[in-house]
Amino acid sequence: MTSTESRRASRRQVLKGAGALAAAGVIGAPAISKAQTGTIKIGVPTILSGRVAILGQTSVGGLKVVFDKFNAAGGINGRKIEMVVRDSKGAPQEAAKVTRDLINNDKCEIILDAEASSAAFAVQEVIREIGVLCLHSNSETSSLTADPKLHVPTAFRTARQGIHDAIGGGDYAAKIAKAKGLKKWATCSPDYAYGRSNTAEFMEYAKHFDGNIQVVEESWPKLFQPDYTEVVTKLLNAKADAMYSALWGGDLVAFIDQANLYGLFDKQASFMVNLGDYGVVDQVKQFPQGVYSGGRYNRTVPATKENEEWYQNYVKTQKHKPTNWSWENAVAAEFVVEALKKTNGDTNGKKMAEAIKGMTLKSQFGTKGTVTMRAEDNTLVDYIIGYGVSLSKEPYVSDFQASAWEPIFELEKQWKKKQGYIS
Amino acid sequence: MAGRWRDLGLAALGLLVLLLVPVVGAPPAIRDFIMFGMAYGLLAMSLNLLIGYTGLVSFGHAMFFAAGAYAFGLAMQSGKFSIPGAFVLAMAFTATMALIVGAICVRLNEIYFAFLTLAFQMLFYNIILGWVSFTGGDQGLMGGIPRPKFLGIDLADRTQLYIFCSVAFVVCIAILRQVVTSPFGYTLRMIRDNQERAAFLGINVTMVKLACFVISACIAGVGGILLTLFVSGAYPNFGFWTTSGEAIFMILLGGSNVFLGPLVGTVILRLLNDITVSYTSHTELVLGIVILVLVLGLRKGPLDLLADRWENRRQAKAQAVRDAADKDAQAGRDA
Repeated sequence: MTSTESRRASRRQVLKGAGALAAAGVIGAPAISKAQTGTIKIGVPTILSGRVAILGQTSVGGLKVVFDKFNAAGGINGRKIEMVVRDSKGAPQEAAKVTRDLINNDKCEIILDAEASSAAFAVQEVIREIGVLCLHSNSETSSLTADPKLHVPTAFRTARQGIHDAIGGGDYAAKIAKAKGLKKWATCSPDYAYGRSNTAEFMEYAKHFDGNIQVVEESWPKLFQPDYTEVVTKLLNAKADAMYSALWGGDLVAFIDQANLYGLFDKQASFMVNLGDYGVVDQVKQFPQGVYSGGRYNRTVPATKENEEWYQNYVKTQKHKPTNWSWENAVAAEFVVEALKKTNGDTNGKKMAEAIKGMTLKSQFGTKGTVTMRAEDNTLVDYIIGYGVSLSKEPYVSDFQASAWEPIFELEKQWKKKQGYIS
Repeated sequence: MAGRWRDLGLAALGLLVLLLVPVVGAPPAIRDFIMFGMAYGLLAMSLNLLIGYTGLVSFGHAMFFAAGAYAFGLAMQSGKFSIPGAFVLAMAFTATMALIVGAICVRLNEIYFAFLTLAFQMLFYNIILGWVSFTGGDQGLMGGIPRPKFLGIDLADRTQLYIFCSVAFVVCIAILRQVVTSPFGYTLRMIRDNQERAAFLGINVTMVKLACFVISACIAGVGGILLTLFVSGAYPNFGFWTTSGEAIFMILLGGSNVFLGPLVGTVILRLLNDITVSYTSHTELVLGIVILVLVLGLRKGPLDLLADRWENRRQAKAQAVRDAADKDAQAGRDA
């Protein structure tokens, strides 16, 4: 018995040794081969599989359009940009591991975090520790940059922000409510942090601008819920004048298809912040007309030559339509390129962060033709926010009204005070 | 007794090998891979104490992984605890939770036990999601996990963190080994093979199962703590059913009958994941194919297969020696 046990032990040692060697070989080899290429490597942790794979695909598309142009122009000091894209499947711990691997193993010098919110917070902690430049290009959760406890000097956000959308959307909704006498409201949003906080903030500001608004029904379908019959019935029974929904992606598509069967959109005014995005527009069987749709990405918003050219170029090179995530990532890529020009190709996290802090970029996605990386909280401002009315065919959104930024800044400051983020 | 010292010696050797990794200047990516593997390895190894040694298939084991992670993370974020203090608190919380859940679940067998553990896991998961002000909801524990120095050890330093994780990991593996080779471990096997017989022999089956459940939960909790330290946060999907499923995958991949089988499974699964993720986003497809090959082709974990072949060969050799001896004896009698 003893001799058998001892033989087993030695076999285990051999197996462990072989495993360690295999791990070293598999993990170490790419680092050795890739470290010699001389390109500026940019790591992109994102979601490329599952129901929200479109997030990763269209984010990478937005980045590629900018970096391909940069590389075609010769790069900087002869160095071109190479993207290393990894699928985190949206799991925070995987996102943290993948980000560390991108930096330590693939020798990426910059991280473009194209993760959804929960994983973005995990990436933020890796950046806090390692200190490379990071741009969060998809996370809309306000606290990521608004909460000073979470602040990381080399991390920035180029995505739109929940509180900005809520203030702009609340103002727009209140104007429509006053004009049409929409007093009784129902809500229908996904049952998780984004859905709940987005809806609470939207309704808070709608009430702020129109004191007559009251919420009479709240519906919280589960994330990735396949059947919305019960939710639609609940909304119909509420007999509300208007409805707000923060549903998005495949959930929004399923909800619209099922709500259409009951004629929900004919019976009440509907406000949907995530409706007018090509990812949704192209998937819905019967795109509803007359729904108030939040501004995500649309080729006619703004209706400029630059935006149309950007759209055409994107579709031609990426073979799919851009989404909200595409422009957010394109802006992130533009910031990286401009910062590299300022630092003369030096990718040091501190130097790149100094270059980006407070930087204003010429951009067709800005209200005044520019977007700015606000220095006080490392977040993007002056991008286009607003609402329009949906059309059932191209361009899918009409009468788009962009929100003014001054009232947003003012109310955002009050919100930050209320949250205890500033004194 | 000799076996115990040998096991402890092997554990010390394993620790030495792990500690050599930073000494020989291995790239940080390898250290990260090992740390990640150690956290999930403890989850799989502890689950195998239930599945492989006791015959209790738990679908909810990840709740203890998450319990350790959240209890430790919250204690550290409160700023009132040192790392050892938070560690002990997390262990106490996990053990208490396991005691309550286990007291209800271990009385049931097979599918009822499996589904009740799954139900408790989903309850715990939904508490994490719903109690946003305390747990951060689906955003998890944000803002990082503070790592104040203790006894001159600074876990903010990646090498020291690696050493800390290695020591905690080896200690847990050594504890598991002592458990499975002790009379208690053999009692677990007896319960797995014939629960009624064990009861007739005077064993309090429920209490033994409960003790096993709590020990295994605590080890999973340590895994959760290691992962929390690694990613500097705790997230709800630590306690989601897919994480329990992943641990079962690891056991399937490595084998449940050999002590280190689940650990080998963890390494295989993590390697498969890390390699495929570098080349494709169809990681699940690759994993699915591997599982199919194992289930349909090998019908057991590779380590189980190797162990069986080794045993068969040993028995064949012993039989050959016996046959030769019989032949000689026969020849002697004939002469």
